[in-house]
Amino acid sequence: MDSITIGLWVTGGMLVMVVLGMRVAFAAGLAGFLGLVWLRWDQFNYDPDRFFKALEISVKIAGQVPHSKVSAHALSLIPTFILIGYLAYHARLTTALFDAAKKWIAWVPGGLAVSTVFATAGFAAVSGASVATAAVFARIAIPEMLKVGYDKRFAAGVVAAGGTLASLIPPSAILVIYAIIVEQDVGKLLLAGFIPGMFSAIVYATLIIVLALTMKNFGPPVGGFTWRERLVSLPPALPIVAVVVIIIFFVYNPFGGDAWGTPTEGGAIGAFIVFCMALYRGMRWGALKDALLETAKLTVMIFTIIWGVLIYVRFLGFADLPSAFSDWITSLEYSPMLILICILLAYAVLGMFMDAIGMLLLTLPVVYPAVMALNGGEFVSAEDSAFGMSGTMCAIWFGILVVKMAEFCLITPPIGLNCFVVAGVRDDLNVQDVFRGVIPFFIADGITIALLVAFPVIVLWLPSLA
Amino acid sequence: MAGSSAVLEDSSLLSRLDRALLPFERFAALISGLAAFSLMFLAVWSVTGRKFFGAPLLGYVDYIEALMPVIAILGVSFVQRDGVHIRMDIVIGAMRGRLLWLMELITTILILVLIIALMWGAWAHFDRSFDFARPYWSRDSSIDVSMPLWPSKIVVPIAFAVLVLRLLLQIWGYARAFWLNLATPVAVPLVQSAAEQAREEAELLQGGD
Repeated sequence: MDSITIGLWVTGGMLVMVVLGMRVAFAAGLAGFLGLVWLRWDQFNYDPDRFFKALEISVKIAGQVPHSKVSAHALSLIPTFILIGYLAYHARLTTALFDAAKKWIAWVPGGLAVSTVFATAGFAAVSGASVATAAVFARIAIPEMLKVGYDKRFAAGVVAAGGTLASLIPPSAILVIYAIIVEQDVGKLLLAGFIPGMFSAIVYATLIIVLALTMKNFGPPVGGFTWRERLVSLPPALPIVAVVVIIIFFVYNPFGGDAWGTPTEGGAIGAFIVFCMALYRGMRWGALKDALLETAKLTVMIFTIIWGVLIYVRFLGFADLPSAFSDWITSLEYSPMLILICILLAYAVLGMFMDAIGMLLLTLPVVYPAVMALNGGEFVSAEDSAFGMSGTMCAIWFGILVVKMAEFCLITPPIGLNCFVVAGVRDDLNVQDVFRGVIPFFIADGITIALLVAFPVIVLWLPSLA
Repeated sequence: MAGSSAVLEDSSLLSRLDRALLPFERFAALISGLAAFSLMFLAVWSVTGRKFFGAPLLGYVDYIEALMPVIAILGVSFVQRDGVHIRMDIVIGAMRGRLLWLMELITTILILVLIIALMWGAWAHFDRSFDFARPYWSRDSSIDVSMPLWPSKIVVPIAFAVLVLRLLLQIWGYARAFWLNLATPVAVPLVQSAAEQAREEAELLQGGD
């Protein structure tokens, strides 16, 4: 049997295990390990006397992956970003951020909803937790919006959609994971996420303002805050802004000169600022211990998928499946852009059923080389490429697109998780209400993704400067 | 964010063994968390030293690379105990009774097969860099400060050994649930709905507010 056939059987088996509910990390690791055994025994012509030898070789190849792959310095960004998130909860940044956003922005038409979008986006970005952020803001922001007469479905839609902005604005653990899997510059990817993330938030805000201006009794402006109240509201919310700005400055210095350091250092300094804020706000050992345990749980969960998938990737390399898939994709008689759009749509469907990290890690080892091949290869110049950008820039652009798609799925019917979460937290709302309220944002996200595809410069301008 | 599943307890031997293993797992996870916490101080020390005193922390990258397996792997059993690892639960979430416990039993046995194999391979990886006859018992070392690598390599088989114990308990739990057709078995993570997980996370987050 040739190696590609073995690769297809093993990949099919892995997908069956995943669909039947086996933990993604272990399904990938087991598929990779069994695939390595199969390939090696195939080389020994299925000689029963040499099965143990094939097993021993495969065990040694797979067994060194967990240690050797997680020891990479660049991966230390992931626990640091997660730590920032858990410390941010104890620094009481949720209410501080909403309070500041309300006092500064609520005077515009639809002001409370706009404030909610920015507060939710800011906290979700720093905490890295879209779903949990939606749950928290459902309790903080929805009652305030209902008090001034917002439609409850729309108020719920604002919160569910705002949480989806987490993954693009730095610090973004999922962009770090993408960078590691596709072996691209982590700093440039973090930088690339900033403008599309802010762009998405501005599109949401513009949509709310337009709705408030055109529809009667929709989200009245909320005024009456003095400048003193506004200024006092700022310091408690500043750590959020500081974390985002510091991480950007540690990758790229917009005032010229060298960046301040590495992204890892930037993340750690950001964590230190939030830690000081949490201490100031009264965090003690008990709360810190909880934060460290939660950090460990989430970190270990993410790294288990990383090393599990990397065992599978090691097998894929031997089986030569990614290059066979790339050859097939490039041989199709359709335009590369059409194929790319189909791939993005496939992610939209898959994202309805699977967590973003699991989905990206499982699919990227095969899909990413194919997209690079569509563009003309890893080392292609912008002039010779299909999408009008170099291989490196294509990798960054595709990363932002798939991460945006994964977040988009959090509000996509029928299984948009954020909508279920908001409905689950609020007794006065059912899921249909939230899905109805989220429709305008669903359309806005569709437009945003189309713009990111049509105008890659939105994504690539900032990283091209670094 | 990782959602955790409920693990029930009673006075049975299985549940007592589950509770006996839990403190070790929690301690290992806390060490993971503390190691992640120490990354923050290492970076602050390195940046402050470099920017203000012209003296960066020597071996900064070596220390981080040595800490990473502790952060990333040591708590693996604690995560398995709580059922935090990601999975697609659309099919298994719809199963009930014996069929559900049978599927959980089969997938947990498959995980055990993988982890035993990886424990063997990870031990071999450690064994290649460990030698009693050499200075610091080490055959290899880090680039900047020549730190021995075996202490970071032995973390992996140790973490996997604890995970094997946890998986054996879960296999026992699922087999018992299948055999006795239990509705709410002990010592295994039970599937929670997204709303239940979200409510728990919201409580956790608002605890800080």
